[in-house]
Amino acid sequence: MYWGGNPAECHPRHFTKYTLMQKSKFLPRGRKDRTMVLVDIRETKSAKASDIFLQVRPGKDFELITILRAMIKEQHVGDEQIAETGMTREVLDDLVHRMKSCKFGCFFFGMGLSMTRGKHMNSAALLTLAAEMNAFTKFVAMPMRGHGNVTGADVIMRWQTGYPFGITFNRGYPRYNPGEFSTVDVLVRGDCDAAFIIGADPGATMPQPAIEHLKRIPTICLDPHVTHTSNLARVHITTAPQGIAAPGTAYRMDELPLPLKPALKSPYPSDEEVVRRINAAIAEKPFWLAEGSQPQMITNQV
Amino acid sequence: MTLQVIDNATCTFCGCVCDDIQLHHDEMRIYKAKKACVLGTAWFLNHTAEKKYPDALIDGKEATVEEAIQMAATLLHEADMPLVYGMSNTTCEAQKECVAMADQLGALLDSHTSL
Ligand code: SF4
Repeated sequence: MYWGGNPAECHPRHFTKYTLMQKSKFLPRGRKDRTMVLVDIRETKSAKASDIFLQVRPGKDFELITILRAMIKEQHVGDEQIAETGMTREVLDDLVHRMKSCKFGCFFFGMGLSMTRGKHMNSAALLTLAAEMNAFTKFVAMPMRGHGNVTGADVIMRWQTGYPFGITFNRGYPRYNPGEFSTVDVLVRGDCDAAFIIGADPGATMPQPAIEHLKRIPTICLDPHVTHTSNLARVHITTAPQGIAAPGTAYRMDELPLPLKPALKSPYPSDEEVVRRINAAIAEKPFWLAEGSQPQMITNQV
Repeated sequence: MTLQVIDNATCTFCGCVCDDIQLHHDEMRIYKAKKACVLGTAWFLNHTAEKKYPDALIDGKEATVEEAIQMAATLLHEADMPLVYGMSNTTCEAQKECVAMADQLGALLDSHTSL
């Protein structure tokens, strides 16, 4: 089940390589052994590939997920409540039956779910539905990730700090609080007084107040191109594009690490090299906390 | 002219990270990306090894990489609450260095995921 995403246009090989077409030991007929459901507010190109297309009213995803959570447990749901989401009882009864009787179900959810009314509450509701479905059959949920290696960023931050994003080290140890430490909020409130941007172009994607703040403070930008962010930054360094001229590792959206095989020899240094050199230059300067007030390592404690 | 061929190269344009692409290249430019989809083909063919941009810019003026690195270190070190952000279009190795940087600076650390 794809929810609020358009893989046909945004992840073109998702169907053929991973979800629909592949033949396997338990699904020897490939596509014929699978059912694909698409939930979206618009009939996108992906609808053509689906067996069932459910057009949900804009902003009613949370309601629809909650109704499904009730229906799988055979709790009462009113007709008006179903009508509010743009669905009918027959369609949902059929869907619930299919979900319960499948051998292995998977939700892939995109920005149409996680970035519209309800935001992360929508994602949380869908994850709960997937968890609850495991009372009947095997069910999982996975976000459809965009941009190359965002998954890698999550994995690396989790590995190094214990949290996936929205972290601060301002007390000397990592703390996590999205909404307080997430970048859009930090920039819109004007909290930070310098920014180091790598492999992203907030100058083109962030809301205007956030961009205004990036212009006010010293911004440093690493990118293979001179981007919108580079134009408002104090310092821009051109780096080799990952996977084309820079070697390394990237994570697939299901968290499988894959090695990159760069073809070209770039005249620019890699991101890794530049960041390492900046770190070395920072290490030569005095530490930001006064001597004696530095966080103690566990091994030094009595 | 014969082109070099790389089998099972990895495309990092979207989250699918297809690792079965065959690239035909001459170290300056990629001419063919077999098995890649439209988006992936555009990604591979649009990058070249030419020097299209200056090495580095400080306040809009061209600079060497070393100058830019020193300047970046100074600005970040001077700040009371620096922010390290992005890390989408880069390798895990570089991401790890970014976490180290945030740790060293007592900085905020965040990726695209929070958007
Ligand atoms: S080839 Fe297409 S589907 Fe595969 S990673 Fe590249 S852009 Fe995504």
